Amino acid sequence: MSPSSLSKAALFAALLVVIFVISWESYIRSTGFEISFDDGGPLWSHQRDRVYGPMDKTTVFIGSSRIKFDLDIPTWDKITGNQAVQLACVGSTPRPQLSDLANDPKFKGRVVVDVTEGLFFSLNPGNAFRPNEAIKYHTKITPTQRVGFELNIPLESTFAFLDKDHYSLNTMLDNLQIPSREGVHMGPIFARDFGYVRFDRQEYCGKLFMADTAQQHLQANIWAGFGRMNKKPPISGPPLDSILNLVKFDVDKIKAKGGDVFFVRTPSSGGFLEKELMGFPREKYWDRILATTGCKGIYFKDYPQIDHYVCPEESHLSPSDAIDFTTKFIDILRTDYGWTFPWHHFALTFILSVAELSTQQLSLSHSLTLSLPWSSTPTPS
Amino acid sequence: MVFNSYTFIAFFIVVLLLYNLPLAWKSKKIILLLASYVFYAAWNPPFILLLWLSTVVDYFVGRALYTQENVTKKRLLLVISLIGNLGMLCFFKYGGFLLENFTLLVNAIGVDFHPAKPDIILPAGISFYTFTTLCYTIDMYHKKSEPVKSILDFSLFVTFFPHLVAGPIVRPPQLVPQFETPRISTRKMLMDGLLLLSLGLFMKVVLADTLLAGTANDVFGNDGMLPMLDTWMGVLAFSGQIFFDFAGYSTCAIGAALCLGFVLPDNFKYPYAAVGFSDFWRRWHITLSAWLRDYLYIPLGGNKKGEGRTYINLMLTMLLGGLWHGANWTFVFWGGLHGFYLWVERFIREKFKSKPMLSPDISTAGITSGGRSGSFIYALLTFMLINVTWVFFRASTFKQSWTMLGSMFGITHGGEPMLTSISIIKVSVIVTIMVIVHWLMRNSSVLTLAYKIPWWVLSIAWACMLFSIMLSQESTSSFIYFQF
Repeated sequence: MSPSSLSKAALFAALLVVIFVISWESYIRSTGFEISFDDGGPLWSHQRDRVYGPMDKTTVFIGSSRIKFDLDIPTWDKITGNQAVQLACVGSTPRPQLSDLANDPKFKGRVVVDVTEGLFFSLNPGNAFRPNEAIKYHTKITPTQRVGFELNIPLESTFAFLDKDHYSLNTMLDNLQIPSREGVHMGPIFARDFGYVRFDRQEYCGKLFMADTAQQHLQANIWAGFGRMNKKPPISGPPLDSILNLVKFDVDKIKAKGGDVFFVRTPSSGGFLEKELMGFPREKYWDRILATTGCKGIYFKDYPQIDHYVCPEESHLSPSDAIDFTTKFIDILRTDYGWTFPWHHFALTFILSVAELSTQQLSLSHSLTLSLPWSSTPTPS
Repeated sequence: MVFNSYTFIAFFIVVLLLYNLPLAWKSKKIILLLASYVFYAAWNPPFILLLWLSTVVDYFVGRALYTQENVTKKRLLLVISLIGNLGMLCFFKYGGFLLENFTLLVNAIGVDFHPAKPDIILPAGISFYTFTTLCYTIDMYHKKSEPVKSILDFSLFVTFFPHLVAGPIVRPPQLVPQFETPRISTRKMLMDGLLLLSLGLFMKVVLADTLLAGTANDVFGNDGMLPMLDTWMGVLAFSGQIFFDFAGYSTCAIGAALCLGFVLPDNFKYPYAAVGFSDFWRRWHITLSAWLRDYLYIPLGGNKKGEGRTYINLMLTMLLGGLWHGANWTFVFWGGLHGFYLWVERFIREKFKSKPMLSPDISTAGITSGGRSGSFIYALLTFMLINVTWVFFRASTFKQSWTMLGSMFGITHGGEPMLTSISIIKVSVIVTIMVIVHWLMRNSSVLTLAYKIPWWVLSIAWACMLFSIMLSQESTSSFIYFQF
């Protein structure tokens, strides 16, 4: 082959790649898959850089997956005029993030801690892996990683096939579900449309998931399976005291810098909620967090406005309920806990009316995410 | 920055565009030098000061070494250069290790000494650019080549971004003459370079990071006992991972340089097809092996001072080669094991050199037609023994190494199976194909093959590599050899 043939080979290879990409992307979109950002260290780190705003302008959210699904960030931002910074990590305890913020001398703001008891009080290192990795990434981030992140944004905003959790080579090989060897545990495969990640790290259930009860049951069974796998009794005694003392230590550090910490127990429902309450009775866990730290908190069952949600897979709110929950959560913060927001009075009325209208539309068309201007994938800024 | 990042793609496009502007050769070299500093500073900007220091000191010391006729002064200058270069390397790379061992030693003789553990960040590529500058000053001392005429050329020789952080380790005569006269990147060079860049990224991103790293990390991250199958799979996965990772980097480096019109030396020649261990070291990290041979083994006396000294020199070279890879006794042991293999091989070769039919051909990379099956069996034995050495290279402690070896050879039993069927399939398929390809390609090269096959076959293979890179959206990870 001559050098000119190599040029021909290169051009033809480029053409084939373009054809592959267009075909693969078209196929994935045709199955209803939506854009989803990689929720790894770079995206977390990008949010972590935003925590330094003053308390009336910025609220940092940490926790597990529930707050990522349940807090509708565009709604929060619009009503409060205050920026929500989402630092929660799925399947994780938020204690590493709390320590990270407590030990950052520059951070003097407000933190809302979502409590999913089974994860919050977990001593399993696996439940601290994601936040620890994210913190490590942020601490050691290099200039080239920052530039790489910025270059990646337009690509991830455009191509659904770049979703690592469903369409990376390794995931697709794992999803072949080749029977494994005896004694080897294989992780469950989540319902494909259960969680899409937006650029602000908010997660939401996809349209197909909301329309498909089979996917919802599959996901609920996966949560139940996780519960069955954990054969240890819930933490108690000195290890529990130790965790609570460490949390208080970090909370005190944040308060000493002029910051504030607030706890929230976000909704779950059905059999999953029953099992959670059996394993982690409120008086032994939630009440002790507030008593030990001296912080305020909202337990969803205490407020009729937010005690009635039915989670599609018993653990996370639907997109429409997330908007409703966020709106009412803000209202409770304002009326019962004296939080003030600059835009509140003006925006609340407007948002409530739009949300109500949109929810009505959802029941007709199942297309809430399209009908609400702020619930579509935001353009990164 | 790393080759497998969007940042590098953007950076390289800009560099290619600027480099191909109709500018004077000196301006183009300045562009390349500035680009190389940006490439390096993208990790940790302050460490660029170390690079400047090393460059300036060695440039002037090198010139003085070449012109100085007074032997005492000449030796003094060489010592200054060695202390400067090796001192910096020792502080950053071996500081913690030396302190830890010193503490163990003084504690053992009853002195109560417990210093705080130093928190030293290792500058990227320090082992590589230290060796690059060292060979220049040693060459100047021996007047093996002419001093580099301008500091611009010398800076570019040290800093040229394709080889800067993980090799190939270049010698002045290999690269400096290419900077002295204007270079033009021909279309052939550009295409060859792009093909090698794509192949290198495929090896790193798809084969090393996506398909093999997970299994290797799971097995080596497990402190307890594992069944024989799991342990072997983990070790084989690491054998593949480290080859694809490091050879992938070298291939990218050679490809990137070629796109700009420069030729870097080969660093890997299908090492898992090596017939014997001397052959392995002619195929694995070739530029480091050659460096150690020329600047350590031969100055120690090589094989010119008797049989006994030859064995000692061989072992010393391999032990120091092991230590170069990392500040841990497991790396030294890894080097020692290779030294032992070389001893045995040398002993057998010496014993049977008058009876060639009794031994496989281990003298060169060539395979005699009569001994092909014997050579293949010896190549497989070499590969298996190399896998044993990788256990010490990758395990964090000797305890873990012995536990794994016990499991691999059925000496100890127990442990719960860990690897899924798909992990075992991935490792088995990739490692088998890798060994077959190495064997078939052992006397050839990628570019030779690319020019032999029909253009459309190359196109499809190239497109598949690029598309599988796109499908492997793992987080950008560093190349393993950066830590060395």
